[in-house]
Amino acid sequence: MFNWLANPNRFNRITNKAQPFFALFSIVTIIFGLYFGLFDSPKDYQQGDAVRIMYVHVPSAWLASGLYLSLAVSCIFYLVWKHPLADIISRSIAPIGALFSLLTLITGSLWGKPMWGTWWVWDARLTSMLILFFFYAGYILLSNAFERKIDGSKSAAVLAIIGVINLPIIKFSVDWWHTLHQPSSILKLDGPSINEQMLLPLILMIIGFSFLSSYLIILNVKTKLIEKKCEALILKSNLNEISKLG
Amino acid sequence: MNVKNSSWTVLFISHIKRDVLVNTRSLIDVISVFGFMLLIIILFPIGIGPTKEKLDIVSNAVLWISLIIAIIPSLEKMLQKDFDSGWLDQIATSPAPLEIILLAKSISHWLIVIIPLILASPLFAILLDLEFNQIPWIILSMTIGGLSISLIGIIGAALVLGARRGNVLLPVLIIPLIIPILIFGVGINEAVKIGNSPLSNLFLLIAFSLIYLVISPFVSALLIRIAISR
Repeated sequence: MFNWLANPNRFNRITNKAQPFFALFSIVTIIFGLYFGLFDSPKDYQQGDAVRIMYVHVPSAWLASGLYLSLAVSCIFYLVWKHPLADIISRSIAPIGALFSLLTLITGSLWGKPMWGTWWVWDARLTSMLILFFFYAGYILLSNAFERKIDGSKSAAVLAIIGVINLPIIKFSVDWWHTLHQPSSILKLDGPSINEQMLLPLILMIIGFSFLSSYLIILNVKTKLIEKKCEALILKSNLNEISKLG
Repeated sequence: MNVKNSSWTVLFISHIKRDVLVNTRSLIDVISVFGFMLLIIILFPIGIGPTKEKLDIVSNAVLWISLIIAIIPSLEKMLQKDFDSGWLDQIATSPAPLEIILLAKSISHWLIVIIPLILASPLFAILLDLEFNQIPWIILSMTIGGLSISLIGIIGAALVLGARRGNVLLPVLIIPLIIPILIFGVGINEAVKIGNSPLSNLFLLIAFSLIYLVISPFVSALLIRIAISR
């Protein structure tokens, strides 16, 4: 099944059909989600209008962690079955996941300024999201650190898998550290219960962001496939010229 | 694999001996790591100011952070020389199990680089104005934490083998993995300082080190086979 899907041409054929739907779906759900979130949902009794940042913050936080898991899964596919497409997919997931974790951090600090009175708090959640960002950054740096790009793929894949083993430990230890240092008196995003009118735009935004990220990843994979083809063509024409000279 | 079980221990011990011998022929590496850690520790009071109260808040963290920062430059050397000289290629193609040898390598790194720092830790503790009853706990926590830094470090060293500017890349890859050691290590010493039981943090640190004791040889062996194949 995976062998069947791992063919780049087949991948192109399937995604060519799927891509416009992904784009359409993400645009529609994000527009509706933003409308409901920004205009048609109640203010929080404590946080006021600032709660609306949640509609961007929570989906990107979910996607940042979800995409890391899919990065690790595709790295396992690359290491075990050695599909070149799995490597291209993980290379395409990494920058988008890093972008979402950065977006989480930025929206989190924008929300933190009016709520906590400071841009940055060493809250357990913020800290573990920052560490997640560093894992993405490590993957991107290591996968591009070699003379030939393909040389870094396997090492970086191992790093991503170590990361997925480590992230729960780090998350746990950061929570542990936080509870040791100060009691959790800080307001947290997930209140005890969430209003139905807030839940609808949140779910819409999560769906929209998921489709958006899959659209972007597919776009990224396609670009990388075309890049590879170009490199192969350049290599071929160089070889032809060399053979003419010889 | 025609190497018997009993000869694995011989292999393990002889490799530790080899590494210790190679690295202690010139003591300059060991001394420079010690000097580096001492200087980092000196920097903190200079930066914070000489008042005792301020230093008292951060002293345990300073001790651990300077230990980690002082060790990091030595991690890359763990494998780089043997990789450049082709020794690792020879070992990887020989029937001797690469995992055992890499475990021996991280243990010997721990013996050569980290144990001297731990032996010097009473001196650092005096510089940072820590109480004497804390010193046994500092030594214990740093011995265990240092072992796991060595075990994680060999993974990092294997990750950047053959990379461009691996020495710059290594800390970026390693430091996120080391964070739990810092948290548990400082937790042990803070608990001792305020008179609580440090055992919960100690057990967590031991658990974390044991996880890496199991994972590290296999992961780094896999990474070295990858590095050799390119």
